[in-house]
Amino acid sequence: MKTSRSNTATDGCGSPEHDVHRRLFLQGYLAAGAASIASYSGLFSVPTIADEVKRHGKKCILLWLCGAPSQFETWDPKPGTPTSGPFGAISTNLPGVKISQLMPKCATMMDKLAVIRSMKTEPSEHFQGIDVLTRGDKPRPPFVRPILGSVIAEQLGQLDSPVPQFVLLDPCPEGNEFKAFKAGNWAGWLGAEYGPVRAGGEYSIPDILRPENLTETDHSDREALRKFFSRKFQNEQRSEAAASYNAAFERVRGLMSCAPLFDLKNLPEDDRQRYGLGAFAQHALQARHLIENGSTFVMVANGMPWDNHVFQHEMHQMLVPELDNVIYQLVTDLHLRGMLDDTLVIAMGEFGRTPWLNEARGRDHYPNAWSMAMAGAGIKGGTVFGATDEHGIDVAENEVDNRRLFATIFRALGISHQEEYVLPGLPTFQRVEGDTKPINEILV
Amino acid sequence: MNQLSLNLATHFKLPTGILGAAVTNDGTSLAAACMDGVYLANLKDKSFEKINEHSSYVSSAEFINDESTIVTAGYDGRLQWYDLSSKSRTRELQLHEFWSWDMAVSPDRKLIASVTGQYLAGGYKYEPAAETEPCVRILSADIGKILLSLPHVPSVQAVAFSPDNQFVAAGNLMGEVRIWNVNTGELAASWTTSDFTSWGIIKSHSYLGGIFSMAFTPDSTQLLLAGMGPMNDPMAGNGRQLWQKWAWQQTPPAKIDETHKDESGEGLMETLSVHPDGTRFVMGGRLRGGDWNVAMFELESGTRIATLKTGYRVTQATFSTDGSKLILVGTQGQPNKSKEGTYPKFGRIEVYDLA
Repeated sequence: MKTSRSNTATDGCGSPEHDVHRRLFLQGYLAAGAASIASYSGLFSVPTIADEVKRHGKKCILLWLCGAPSQFETWDPKPGTPTSGPFGAISTNLPGVKISQLMPKCATMMDKLAVIRSMKTEPSEHFQGIDVLTRGDKPRPPFVRPILGSVIAEQLGQLDSPVPQFVLLDPCPEGNEFKAFKAGNWAGWLGAEYGPVRAGGEYSIPDILRPENLTETDHSDREALRKFFSRKFQNEQRSEAAASYNAAFERVRGLMSCAPLFDLKNLPEDDRQRYGLGAFAQHALQARHLIENGSTFVMVANGMPWDNHVFQHEMHQMLVPELDNVIYQLVTDLHLRGMLDDTLVIAMGEFGRTPWLNEARGRDHYPNAWSMAMAGAGIKGGTVFGATDEHGIDVAENEVDNRRLFATIFRALGISHQEEYVLPGLPTFQRVEGDTKPINEILV
Repeated sequence: MNQLSLNLATHFKLPTGILGAAVTNDGTSLAAACMDGVYLANLKDKSFEKINEHSSYVSSAEFINDESTIVTAGYDGRLQWYDLSSKSRTRELQLHEFWSWDMAVSPDRKLIASVTGQYLAGGYKYEPAAETEPCVRILSADIGKILLSLPHVPSVQAVAFSPDNQFVAAGNLMGEVRIWNVNTGELAASWTTSDFTSWGIIKSHSYLGGIFSMAFTPDSTQLLLAGMGPMNDPMAGNGRQLWQKWAWQQTPPAKIDETHKDESGEGLMETLSVHPDGTRFVMGGRLRGGDWNVAMFELESGTRIATLKTGYRVTQATFSTDGSKLILVGTQGQPNKSKEGTYPKFGRIEVYDLA
């Protein structure tokens, strides 16, 4: 085991800057930019598996179904029961397995998917649910756990790549609790260099084209001069803020070189039509494009559209078919391109929806028994793990919590879920806490 | 404020939520379109029986053939004819690929209109995709022969015949109303009101809402629309309780009135019906904010004359033929299973005497 790198906040230099930054870090939630000053990258102690996977170039696309979709209208329909809702169930290419009639395309490719129907988690409110299902566990103050994308970018990504390793595609600037979550510290103790680059909709990435009146040579010279002085300052003053700024400049320089990747108009029109014209579908296609071109983790979201406390069925009639098509196109494309074995696709929200309908024709939050799906890297297609009872009220077999899910995700990507995080004076804990076992039944 | 008294005369429950209903002319029997099937309820002794089923929710029910037949439409896209004397399903038709959102029978009981349409993403901002099947179908009530298949933009959520049996109106998610001549299929009018539709800027970049109910005025020259005003967060369901009255035969059609200021609360209004005497109308739905979820209004002035706070979502409000009673049906929230393993009843029926 090893402790943090020498450039972490634990190396107190006595400077006021350092003290302030460490204090802010220990408060828990910092803006992602400020958090970059406290980089704990490399704290995980057993580097063997990650190095192996890096050679294989494992990637991940998270279809983040924020707001929480209904398991009844997706992966775990209960036709003919009081909780079924108005949509029926259809057979799939897995004998005996039915999914919602709103997912006819996924029904033809269940042999490539692994569905967990027995998710049971604790938080029943969005912010806490998002926190747990994107970071893998409840908060453990004073530390902020890195989000899944940050861990994967740190473990599997190439920091010297000009292409951002962690990209969030989400055009919706609002989103209630998700908006609040987005404003928080995503990279946690890993530091802001492992935080996401955000794009989508009005989140175009501005000012990343070199001005026409600035020659490439001048631009390079200026960058070299800036880098020289800031490195000098960073080294002489032990300034982590300067290190953070340097990281940001490096990122911007990378973005300038790959700006076309972020322009939807550059995607083939046939592909755009095939994925569907809604923002979520377009960004799922863009996620494929980014993965193909060097990103390691792309998270696709669209605000919190699944939180259907009202108009449950009126919204799911539109959202689920879009999701169905996106999963189908994405998994098919990755398969045809020979990338599926190295790319994990995850589709999930922060919990499920109630079996019963409220007065506003909606389903409310329900963490007690819900579903999610995965495909690709490390995942055994054609598996349905766990089950709920007759009416979908509780898990009937093979309960899966957030820890077990994350242990499975990490194992699928070749990342040890048991690596230990060590910091002097604080308890040692593993990447996935507890004596958590991955779900071997859905792993290759 | 309340210039009209509404006195609760009868109330009872059905096993599941009621999404639509029709009442016989004598006011004694009610055909209920429920989540789990079709029920026939006796409004006098509160008895009821389940008489038919669809493979999904039942959305609408109407009496035809001198009230000897109940025709129902469902979320399975099917129309079914149920004969009360033989107690059997005598005809059924797969009319739509998607739900029948709403179904209406012409005043002369000769025609049936049913509307459908699945809202699917047709653009980056989730503009509705074009229809993949005709959203509006007109059939003969007796044999179910499709007479007209009319185009609209999904989802088409409300339909109504004119009292003179000459026109049918259909309104959709985007607030677009189209009116056709039922004899020729000719489009007689179309316009869009954006006042019922929300595009979510908070949680969801998509459309929600639209026109949920409509009724012509007795002279067939005006059309009343019902729904909910726009919201920043459609998921909140807190839009203004809204009706509008349109002179549809003008060129272009003109809005001549709407829910008066300070007379509305918040919540989706999904039923609207004109009283048989032609002087007032009732609108009802869900209470999200404010102090009423059912209200009566003078047809001419638009002034609110009575309110009710029912404590459940009203899905259909209708009057007895003689105009002496107001019949409400709807649904509470679906309760969790009881300790005995059964689900408590949550469909609601109420009958009010109009004083």
